[in-house]
Amino acid sequence: MLEFINVNPNSGDPIYKQLHEQVVRLIVGGQLSAGDELPSVRKIADHFAVNPMTVSRAIGQLVDQGWLERRRGQATKVAQKTVQQTDQQETLLFKAIDQLIQQAKQLDVPQSTISELIKKRWEL
Amino acid sequence: MTQPLLSYKNVSKKYNQRLVLKNINLSVEAGMVIGLLGKNGAGKTTLLRSALGLINPDQGEVNVLGELSHQLSASNKEKIGYVAQQTFGYEGFKIADALALHRSFYPNWDMQLEAKWLARFELNSNSAVNDLSIGQRQTLALIMAMAYRPQLLILDEPVASLDPIARREFMSDLFDLALDSGSGILFSSHITSDIERVASHIALIKQGELLLLDELDVIRDTVRKINFKASTIDLSAYKVLNQQQNCAIIYGYTGEVIPDALAINTLSLEQLFVELHG
Repeated sequence: MLEFINVNPNSGDPIYKQLHEQVVRLIVGGQLSAGDELPSVRKIADHFAVNPMTVSRAIGQLVDQGWLERRRGQATKVAQKTVQQTDQQETLLFKAIDQLIQQAKQLDVPQSTISELIKKRWEL
Repeated sequence: MTQPLLSYKNVSKKYNQRLVLKNINLSVEAGMVIGLLGKNGAGKTTLLRSALGLINPDQGEVNVLGELSHQLSASNKEKIGYVAQQTFGYEGFKIADALALHRSFYPNWDMQLEAKWLARFELNSNSAVNDLSIGQRQTLALIMAMAYRPQLLILDEPVASLDPIARREFMSDLFDLALDSGSGILFSSHITSDIERVASHIALIKQGELLLLDELDVIRDTVRKINFKASTIDLSAYKVLNQQQNCAIIYGYTGEVIPDALAINTLSLEQLFVELHG
């Protein structure tokens, strides 16, 4: 699964957030399914050359939010799907949409034009 | 609370009437990897060297492993690793002889670790130190500073001359030291992407002042650049790190709406660094 993840230290987002978001995407997008095992924190950290505490933080949040399950002495696994997770498909687009809205406002492009533009580009 | 491995208390230092460190307070605890960020001449090296007793502060004190930094006992010196910005001595030695001499000062030297690192960084122990490239010398200096698993590791621009592969491997060694051996690490670097990867904490120093000190993730989560038209904008709820006519860098942002703000943007560490010196 690590080959699906990309960490960019120069991005505006902290590394733990990048990891968090991309794992959620992999789960929501179906590349990771319930029961799939994650590599150890140390392996992930070594792979991306990042501080293991950063990886721990991302995994901890994913466990708290119910995306992953952690049992003592076992590898961390992808949790069973919950209803709440399917809503996430839309939530995951918020950031990109917010950026689009911000740029549209800066360029003085009205909402109706944006909707039309999306429709046009969608059908390309 | 456990005692910090290294702590600066109200440390100030002057060179020729010029204040190079202004009232610095900073602690390094076990497991911390603090990235020290600042422009050339900001006081980074002075700060690092004062932890080793190489520089005495004019005011305040520096405590290292429970002792004052200028009165360190031999047994504590064995627990400190240091790599200076400029290496290095051992001219005229072969690598093997240089290591043998160096090793003799450190009873806790780990031969296996030494061998592992020599092999990994492709250093031939029969090579003469004089013939090494700058990057190879830096690698050797790192081996010399880390093969006894120091409790406190102080690195002044340690990786500037290492290639990206060697940098990555070296970072992973730093984590071994910080997390498995419970050491504390204070290192300065200009390579913000490296700091972003490695550091658990960031200390940002500008003109001798510690401008910002916190967990890296907290800094990245709560530092924002705010653009605005009116200079009457109210930013009193935040710590303002830098304010210009139409923009400001704030710290402590947690997602609120700021009236009069035109744009609120996150910053990468490099952007933050550049903005703070704008």
